[in-house]
Amino acid sequence: MTTAPAKGADPAPGGDPVPAADSAAAGDRELRGALRHSGGRSAVILLCSLASAAASLAEPAVLGRSLDLLLSRDPDATRWVALCAALIVAEVLLDAATALLNGTVGARSTAWLRTRALGRLLGADPGRATARFAPGDLATRLTANATEAGTVPAAAAGALAAVLPPLGALVALVLIDPWTAAAFLLGVPLLVLLLRAFARSSSAAVGRYQHVQAAIADRLAEVLDGASTVAAAGTAGRERRRILADLPRLGAEGRAMWLVYGRAVARSGVLMPLLVCLVLAVGGVRLAAGHLGVGELVAASRYAALAAGIGAVAAVLATLVRGRAAARRTAGPATLPPVAHGPLTLPADGPGTLELRGVAVVRDGHRVLVALTLTVPGGATAAVVGRSGSGKSLLAAVAGRLTDPDEGRVLLDGVPLDRLTEGELRREVGHAFARPALFGPTVADAIAFGAERPDPEAVRAAARAAGADGFVQRLPYGYDTLLADAPLSGGERQRLGLARAFAHAGRLLVLDDAMSGLDTVTQREVERALAREVRPGTRLVIAHRLSTAIGADLVVWLDGGRIRATGPHRQLWRDPDYRAVFTGADQETQGQAR
Amino acid sequence: MTASGERGALGRVLPEGRRFLRGRRRVLLALSGWSLLEAAQTFLGGYGVARALDDGFLAGRTGTGLLWLTVAAAAVLLGGLAVRGVFTGLAGLVEPLRDGLVRRAVDQALGAALADPARAGATAAVSRLTHQTEIARDSFAGLVLTARSFVFTTAGALLGMASLAPALLLVVVPPLLAGLVLFAATFPPMAAAQRAYLDADEALSARVGAIGAGLRDVAASGAGARVAADTGGLIAAEARLSRALARWAAVRALALGAAGRLPVVALLLATPWLLDGGMTAGALLGALTYLVQALLPALHELMTAFGTAGTRLLVVLDRFTHRPDDPAPAPATAPAPVPVPPSPPTAAPAPVPPRPAAVSAPDTAPAPLPVPPPSASAPAPVPPPPGTAGRVPAAELRGVTFAYGPGARPVLAGLDLRVAQGEHLAVVGPSGIGKSTLTALLAGTLAPDRGTVRVAGVPAGADGPAHPESRRALLPQQAYVFTGTVRDNLRYLRPEASAAEVAEAVRALDLGELVRRLGGLDAVLDPRRLSAGERQRLALGRAHLSPAPLLLLDEATCHLDPDTEERAERALAARPGTLVVVAHRISSAVRADRVLVLDGDRARCAPHRELLGRSELYRDLVGRWGPEDPPAPHRPRGASTAAERPRDPEVTPSRRPG
Repeated sequence: MTTAPAKGADPAPGGDPVPAADSAAAGDRELRGALRHSGGRSAVILLCSLASAAASLAEPAVLGRSLDLLLSRDPDATRWVALCAALIVAEVLLDAATALLNGTVGARSTAWLRTRALGRLLGADPGRATARFAPGDLATRLTANATEAGTVPAAAAGALAAVLPPLGALVALVLIDPWTAAAFLLGVPLLVLLLRAFARSSSAAVGRYQHVQAAIADRLAEVLDGASTVAAAGTAGRERRRILADLPRLGAEGRAMWLVYGRAVARSGVLMPLLVCLVLAVGGVRLAAGHLGVGELVAASRYAALAAGIGAVAAVLATLVRGRAAARRTAGPATLPPVAHGPLTLPADGPGTLELRGVAVVRDGHRVLVALTLTVPGGATAAVVGRSGSGKSLLAAVAGRLTDPDEGRVLLDGVPLDRLTEGELRREVGHAFARPALFGPTVADAIAFGAERPDPEAVRAAARAAGADGFVQRLPYGYDTLLADAPLSGGERQRLGLARAFAHAGRLLVLDDAMSGLDTVTQREVERALAREVRPGTRLVIAHRLSTAIGADLVVWLDGGRIRATGPHRQLWRDPDYRAVFTGADQETQGQAR
Repeated sequence: MTASGERGALGRVLPEGRRFLRGRRRVLLALSGWSLLEAAQTFLGGYGVARALDDGFLAGRTGTGLLWLTVAAAAVLLGGLAVRGVFTGLAGLVEPLRDGLVRRAVDQALGAALADPARAGATAAVSRLTHQTEIARDSFAGLVLTARSFVFTTAGALLGMASLAPALLLVVVPPLLAGLVLFAATFPPMAAAQRAYLDADEALSARVGAIGAGLRDVAASGAGARVAADTGGLIAAEARLSRALARWAAVRALALGAAGRLPVVALLLATPWLLDGGMTAGALLGALTYLVQALLPALHELMTAFGTAGTRLLVVLDRFTHRPDDPAPAPATAPAPVPVPPSPPTAAPAPVPPRPAAVSAPDTAPAPLPVPPPSASAPAPVPPPPGTAGRVPAAELRGVTFAYGPGARPVLAGLDLRVAQGEHLAVVGPSGIGKSTLTALLAGTLAPDRGTVRVAGVPAGADGPAHPESRRALLPQQAYVFTGTVRDNLRYLRPEASAAEVAEAVRALDLGELVRRLGGLDAVLDPRRLSAGERQRLALGRAHLSPAPLLLLDEATCHLDPDTEERAERALAARPGTLVVVAHRISSAVRADRVLVLDGDRARCAPHRELLGRSELYRDLVGRWGPEDPPAPHRPRGASTAAERPRDPEVTPSRRPG
């Protein structure tokens, strides 16, 4: 239950391309790890599938021999029939065991890969991770891709056994009667060639179908986007007809798809029976000539069918290749460098003095923050102003260690942020954002979200301070309303984000454009509450509004990633360039640039 | 999800499925015909092999043997032909199902969105339209193919064995049946496990997506460990369900073994007895061909398809049939459980005279969805009786209270408001205070919990006369533009508008340049290529063309610059009729005849100057830029230029793109 994070005009942190080799290596490394994690079970799979393959290879011969003995009323037949029955039953049991182990190892491997990827993702620099992976992409990587990757260990263990039956069957054909083997080998390329003549690609039909479908979906999305207008104008019927206008075309393309598919199935379906017929014909001629018994003919036809199953080996290989590609995608987060934390804590009664010393940040080869040196005295409120793209949000991220600078250090009460324990860092430094991602399930949960959960009274107090209490009370179930059921505007989400930061406030609070969606009256109330009701400390406020700069103790004026000037607003206002920052920061242009 | 839940889903889906199939007897007949041909192939396959051995090779007649094998091979090719026919029939069954699901997806999405436009989200609806209908299409096709193939192949094989030696059936059928019964018994719990697994996978996917969208927030809140633990729980739960599925897969393998392989064992064990009964070697070989080459693959496909596709199909179809949280497929206005006595309109609404089309065409919009037919007692607008026109207010609220839920604090409480015909009213107040709710109540898309809302003298909501769109037009903040010609977009609220009327709207709202840039009035526009401001300008042109006497603008100009906004508002105010504007900037309020200030629990309505003296909040809203304006010693008094001064303070901030 979130909104997407801000993708403002400020350069987004992160975004370094990762060489494909890295992710391939990471994928293989993770797969090896998963295989080790279920090593014993995988070995059992290998044994079971080898045994099953051996049984299925032996079965036709034993079956043929049994038939021959039965037909000739040999008393020995009973033993052979018993052997044959035992083989078949063993095969069934082994197959069941393999299915069970395949599923179990798949479940274990998938969970292992997911847990690893999630851990790496949460331990990485969030800015870089967000720049690399879109939310939907991550969801696919950790669900569908991970499931497919999870099949690799079991499939690899079974792959060896998959090669045995077709190859063994061919050998068996040679042993029974070389002529049948020759017929089989001759027949394969001939039949494949014959059938290829009918080959036709189905991808064009699929493409056309998906195109029509996407057009229908687009129109539906359009109408849903304008639901208020459609509801008020009473034009639902008209819109429904417009959305569904292409449905007959979709049906026509769909039918064309089935025809193409049907041709392909018909082709592949006749291959094996025709091969078996061919082997039977040759075997029959040899039988008539007395070179072959009935049982041997039966065995030959079964072996021909088994040998024709060589396609299954290709399927197993395809599974492995696909699984390996999926593993690379699942392991994507593992290529993110982990963020290291130190062992230190802050001095107990420090005022929250924030220092930046020669901080520089490089993104995509460009220096987006350059040589920032700055001290915000403990307890002071510093406003960061600057045009869009001047690096304000990146400065906010660096100041609270949401990303590390490429050069320079950031210190809080004299301790470098990267020397702090993670717990201490997040306890003492809080953030609020322009477009917060909220984690529920309920509104109260969203405010309480953090390492520690504040009590309900603290949650309400924080909401009151953030100007959120009023609208939360107007929600269907107040604080217990599910986020998913709460029709929240951007400004309301912002206030919940502020409340979350207030509820966990430490000695430094970084507000990154966190009040842009508030009307001026509410903003003034929130600023008043921030001064009186939230835990006192240092504030770093990124804002477009003049009132924020006026109210701050100190203004940091960023221009093209450098500090142009710092000082009280009154002093900076004399500079026409500084004044232009505010008239240029036009909210309408941002709205239109959607 | 339990097995009983599974039965519930089946109970919901099956009746609809039966109705669907009953309507397609001819397709089913064609499908059966082709399948019969396929069964003939199965029959000939085994029979030809048996005769080739008995009458040919074993009898020393090689030619006859080869001939019979040729018959078997020809049957194989014939089967290929049958497969193509089967697919044609399949398309006739699957495509109508997909059509129906697409229609239903559209109806469900439209119904939900129109009942609650504020929460309309496109992602889930589009996923249902594209992704889920495709799952249903593929799964259904797979099931039809395998079930049909199994039935006809089994019939062909059993018939073949009966014709070779009827005693074969006695031997082969019992283990086959036992395996099928075992499979059938495991189907409900296996389907439940599969469904639970799919649910768990979706939950995990949603959670990971949410984490991906909020990595920054998770890190900033120091909640990484908690999120990892929570999500780890989901991962473990899915792994548990996956292992349960593995156990069922093993049971399925046993069922397959029993049904497909045990008949072979039974055949071998019974062979001495069968040979005593006079069965030939060829018949034995034929029976084996039936069992191994026809029955086993058909069984395998059947069990695989039902084990996976069957459950997926059930889950998806159940979502299409069973939506308890969906509101009724809506009429354009939300259902209104309003305890208002159904008083007949005391005065007829008063369409505005100067515009011929507005008077002559009260029923301009084609009747949408199932709107109740206009009843005789509450007719659509008729010309007012002479002399009464001026006295009916354009809009009137009496004691209106509205809350978004039973436990919620009311957004509006006991609001009284009367808007005279021809008046220009501005609504101001902090964000989230209920301004949009007020316009929705006036438009009748929301119904008040208490009190009455009347537009042009008749109830505004569902209890009023049909075709409310002929009495009022609502322009929300998010302007609606669709893929269609510019002209059709402009004529949206009045499809029969003449070229001259469209040209007049283009002129009045200064849209000429924009229309040219879009390629002219008859060019098809792509909504994604328009900025939010351009969308709003087109919607304003549409409002100008609307025949409705009452125009409601809900921050419909928030993406325009102040000059364009002013021009648009003046053009719409000049249009004959009443204008209610939820103001985005304070300048909108200054232009209006009267201003309504909403302040949570109180509301005041008066002209701008009067309100400045009476409402502290209004003074605050208007005067905000005063104290905010910093001391600027270098600027001559009174000569502040637009470039130096922050722009008009916004009454409510523009919402960022969401």
